Amino acid sequence: MFGFIRPVKPELKVREVERFQSVYCGLCHEIRRRYGQLQTGFLSYDMTFLALILQAVDTPSAEVERLRCIASPIRRKNVAVSSDMLAYTADISVLLTYHKIEDTLQDESGAKRMAAVSLERLLRADYRKARERLPELDAVIRACLDELLTLEQQQVPSLDRTADTFARILQAIVPKGQPEPVQRVMGQMFYHTGRWLYLIDACADLKDDFRTGSYNPVRLRFELEAPDLTPVKEQLERTLERSLLDIHNAYQLLPLCQDEGLIGNIIDLGLPLITRQVLDGTYHANGGHETHGSL
Amino acid sequence: MDPYKVLGITPQTSDDDVKRAYRELARKYHPDNYVNNPLADLAEARMKEINEAYDMIMNERSGKTSSASRGSSYSGGYQQSSSAGNGIYRQIRSAITSGNLAMAEEMLSRCPSRDAEWYFLMGTVYFRKGWYDEAQRCYTQACAMDPSNMEYQSALNNCNMGANYGGYRPMSTVNCCDFCAQLIYCNCLLNCCCGGGGC
Repeated sequence: MFGFIRPVKPELKVREVERFQSVYCGLCHEIRRRYGQLQTGFLSYDMTFLALILQAVDTPSAEVERLRCIASPIRRKNVAVSSDMLAYTADISVLLTYHKIEDTLQDESGAKRMAAVSLERLLRADYRKARERLPELDAVIRACLDELLTLEQQQVPSLDRTADTFARILQAIVPKGQPEPVQRVMGQMFYHTGRWLYLIDACADLKDDFRTGSYNPVRLRFELEAPDLTPVKEQLERTLERSLLDIHNAYQLLPLCQDEGLIGNIIDLGLPLITRQVLDGTYHANGGHETHGSL
Repeated sequence: MDPYKVLGITPQTSDDDVKRAYRELARKYHPDNYVNNPLADLAEARMKEINEAYDMIMNERSGKTSSASRGSSYSGGYQQSSSAGNGIYRQIRSAITSGNLAMAEEMLSRCPSRDAEWYFLMGTVYFRKGWYDEAQRCYTQACAMDPSNMEYQSALNNCNMGANYGGYRPMSTVNCCDFCAQLIYCNCLLNCCCGGGGC
């Protein structure tokens, strides 16, 4: 997805840093085992966050194995061992990656479109495999993205209407096997994670969208004349903070069996930090340096 | 139910620490944090569990068998103030209260007039759905159309700053204690300058 959801490393315990890295690597290896090396290039921190929560609720396990990989061919790393929830998250990652490429196909033109066309061909077989495993989720993703496309074409000047379509995708990720109250809590948590993600992405993309003339809900909602968030920063902050509070309040009700500190760090420190950085314009993907899997 | 497990403590915990653990949890799951939240019922159930666990432990320790020892109870829920209003709005209000947002939205869309109360109710539906920007816009409109209405005003205020939230303010960089401390400090300075009296 986007990579906005990440912990604040200086506030983590050493074992939590190791745990986060091992789940990231575990997810990466899981994707490689199920779909091959190419797909691992699309893994993001957002998916690691989902995997952490799904595991903490469903199948708590801190078991690791020592594995090498392309990014670390000599030194073995601690990698979370395969589990149902890691496999599930891997399938979701493949589905979302493919739909994102399809979206690029519709939006872009020229060289970017050509790149997307060839990528789409490369990823199509994996996508079909993932769709066979999760047909219902794929149907929801498709329906929501179609709805989003219609809203974009209508140039709807609303933050919530468009964010809602993406939020419902994340909400649909909640696994059906859980008891009803847990499903509701997770649903609320994922809904607002999706709302936040969509809006923070719209804020971060404002400059690019101005340049290319693409649809941007923040621009239309506040009738912005220039790609500058300063005049509407306070209003955006308020509405994003609301979603963060809902994530936090839902998280308080989630029966977690492990990784409470790590997940709490991401929710209570990581998300607010990224929000501030994006609104201030000081946000840089991966803290400015591209490193695979390490915080 | 193991009351100690509910409060996350052991039978060896001192009375003061039991109280502290209880207060900490009560602050987290206080109904004020879940006003208009779709998970309010779950938070309330949790709160009840915590209250019962605390009562059990305190009664056991003081040798009593009944009577609450918490003093002030945290069990107070959210009361929706219901002004009279006309028929359809009353129906919409009860649909919102019972959580049937789709029905409330449907009824609102069929309303012929768009007055202050319409915007207020629409805002509340949006708020419940987690559409906070739309909610804020509707509440603002309602307040602009009827500035004297306290219900609309407090909804807008709540939407803008949030209530208590168990002390959780994700975006605040300057906390309010600093601000209070600064005020006290300023006041002291002023008092010194003016010789303590007068101001």
